[in-house]
Amino acid sequence: MGRILVVDDTLFMRTLLKNILFSGGHMIVGEAENGDDAIAKYQELNPDLVTMDIVMPKKNGIDALKGIRTIDPNAKVIMCTAVGQEQMVKLAVKSGARGYIVKPFQAPKVLEEVKNVLGT
Amino acid sequence: MEEYRGLFVVESRENNDTIARALLTLEGGEDREIVDEIFRAAHTIKGASASMGFMRLERLCHSMEDVFDLIRNGHLRANASLTNLLLACTDQIEAVLDAVEAGRGDEEGTIEELVSALEVWVDETPSEAAVEMPASEDVPTLEDDALISAEGSRYQVLVTLAPASSMKEVRAMIALSNLADIGRIIATHPCRDEIENGKFDRTFEVVIESEAGADALRTAASGTDIQEVVVGPWTGAPETGKADSAVPKVEHHEKSREVKNIRVDIHLLDQMMNLVEDLVINRGRLKQIAQKHQIKELDEALNMVGRSVSDLQNLMMHIRMIPLNHIFNRFPRVVRDVSQHDNKEVEFIIEGGETELDRSVMDGLNEPLLHLIRNAVDHGIELPAERKAAGKSEKGMLRLSAQRDRDNVLIRIEDDGAGIDYDKVRSKAVLRGLSTEEDVKALSEDDLIDILFNPGFSTADAITDISGRGVGLDVVRSAIESLKGSINVSSTQGKGTCFELVLPPTMAIVEVMMVRINGKRCAIPINNVVEVAMIKRDAIHRVGNNQVILLRDEVMPLFTLDDMFGDFNRGDVLVVLQNGHKKCGIVSDVVEGQQEVVVKPLSSLIGICPGVSGVTIPGDGEVVPVLDVNTMF
Repeated sequence: MGRILVVDDTLFMRTLLKNILFSGGHMIVGEAENGDDAIAKYQELNPDLVTMDIVMPKKNGIDALKGIRTIDPNAKVIMCTAVGQEQMVKLAVKSGARGYIVKPFQAPKVLEEVKNVLGT
Repeated sequence: MEEYRGLFVVESRENNDTIARALLTLEGGEDREIVDEIFRAAHTIKGASASMGFMRLERLCHSMEDVFDLIRNGHLRANASLTNLLLACTDQIEAVLDAVEAGRGDEEGTIEELVSALEVWVDETPSEAAVEMPASEDVPTLEDDALISAEGSRYQVLVTLAPASSMKEVRAMIALSNLADIGRIIATHPCRDEIENGKFDRTFEVVIESEAGADALRTAASGTDIQEVVVGPWTGAPETGKADSAVPKVEHHEKSREVKNIRVDIHLLDQMMNLVEDLVINRGRLKQIAQKHQIKELDEALNMVGRSVSDLQNLMMHIRMIPLNHIFNRFPRVVRDVSQHDNKEVEFIIEGGETELDRSVMDGLNEPLLHLIRNAVDHGIELPAERKAAGKSEKGMLRLSAQRDRDNVLIRIEDDGAGIDYDKVRSKAVLRGLSTEEDVKALSEDDLIDILFNPGFSTADAITDISGRGVGLDVVRSAIESLKGSINVSSTQGKGTCFELVLPPTMAIVEVMMVRINGKRCAIPINNVVEVAMIKRDAIHRVGNNQVILLRDEVMPLFTLDDMFGDFNRGDVLVVLQNGHKKCGIVSDVVEGQQEVVVKPLSSLIGICPGVSGVTIPGDGEVVPVLDVNTMF
């Protein structure tokens, strides 16, 4: 059970992800619509884990990830990605992302990844 | 490793407590077994810290171990100043463990200073001591993990991904990056670029140098879509062929320790307790409905439910109980520190530490006890010279004891010190305007003890940094009363003082007597009820503005509780209450019975309501106030 910050620019994706996470017994402590918002919310809420969309307005997921990791080098961030974004995900992992989930989301996969990342 | 953090903290704390306790014993005299125990405990913390990657903590334990080794070999003696240093080390370890528990690392604190202070002791001891190792049978057996971690060995890690893994190269990168967090990656096969570009089948190989141990490496490399991780010692040249078959599978000694204890957040227990309480209330309601409508089957079924609920209730109470040793064990250190500070000699005796109390009561007990114990050493027990002059042994005695007394737990703090100087209390009372010159002479010892509990009252002439800062016995008393307990003091001048705390073993469920006062229901904790009698009108007398009643040659104040339950309280049943040594009577119409109820505290919206400690809801759903007997005296 973790306290999770969900970052995505679409309400749909956030809702989808929130429901999956909620069904896994996790607590959604906050949501953010863009990278800047995500960094601010991270600082404010200090969640156990962040799910981070990559493509977002204002500041993208990778830059937000970097921002969060400067605040908290141990931050646990999972990237939300889609097939075809391999290069971006690799970049994210090199920047400190702890895991990734691939759209379209499958609940068991998402929960497994969250559990694994929270466990390390 | 994160998942082991809790376990690490719990176990290391136990070991650290062992060290601290044993150090105090050791100071009293050499004991081979004790030294061995300390050595083992320090060694275990060291090994665990290294496995968790807390290298500063490991270094501290290592230095402590060096010192203990010298003590064990008889090259060094644990005198007061060395014990002080070692105790400071245990304090530091505790602080680090607190930080670790809170999710931080071991970066904080003054570990380096302590390490260099310890090294001074080691360096100043004849050098052959450090070299000379005890016979092998004396060396504590190293656990497998510790042995490997001590050498910072190289490992070969074979990671196999699940066949259906999407973006397998990214999975591989995550595994590599997790491994790199706890060790130094020497080589990979295929090379890193190829792995990152997915140019590998499903298995890749990592050679890594790490002090974290095989288990930690396995955990680090595992994750989503990782099918298998095989960790073995590094045997030399990298495998070029099919790694799977070539790698010798290392027999992993899974230590099958049965899990006998689990850690549960106290808040979860509180929530469970609340649910059980609701269940108790609703069971009562159902029962009354069944009786009202005379549904026999329902009544029978409810009896079964009732039994289960009672068992559940008992079990919950039991789960919440912890032995008093939990807090008692901290006090030898307090006594030692205070007596050393005051140049006093004190023999501290603890008895009955196995007596159990509810966690919530225990939490509130630590501070008051600490205060009373400090007080006893600081103010109670005299300096050795004074004691000798008074014909006592130079060493003072302080006894902390606990025992079950019917439904209560009795805790006593007794010292054989100077006792309360009643004349001094008298003069201070006049000085502080609490009493006049004339009145003060008439005050009994009990009255004077009452004065001691006045806010800010202290007979100490000098304010020491141990006690006497005006945070006095009043704070102790209110803390104890908030736990629904009471405190009594008896003292003989020149002989000593005894503080007696009477505490309920739990706060949530209380056995009460249900009475009606002026037609309204009221619950009185049964612990406070001494007896019930019929009121004889001619036994009621008036003393000043107060009513008193004469009951078998005993005069006690009589309360009609008009302000709480309305006027015209003409009941003829007397309920005699007791708090400490004092008794009083209250007038009631009728006693309805005795039952176990759940006392719910008043909500903050209502605020403090004198005379009422909470409310309870018996089976019929009526809200009934629970009388706070402490405020009646």
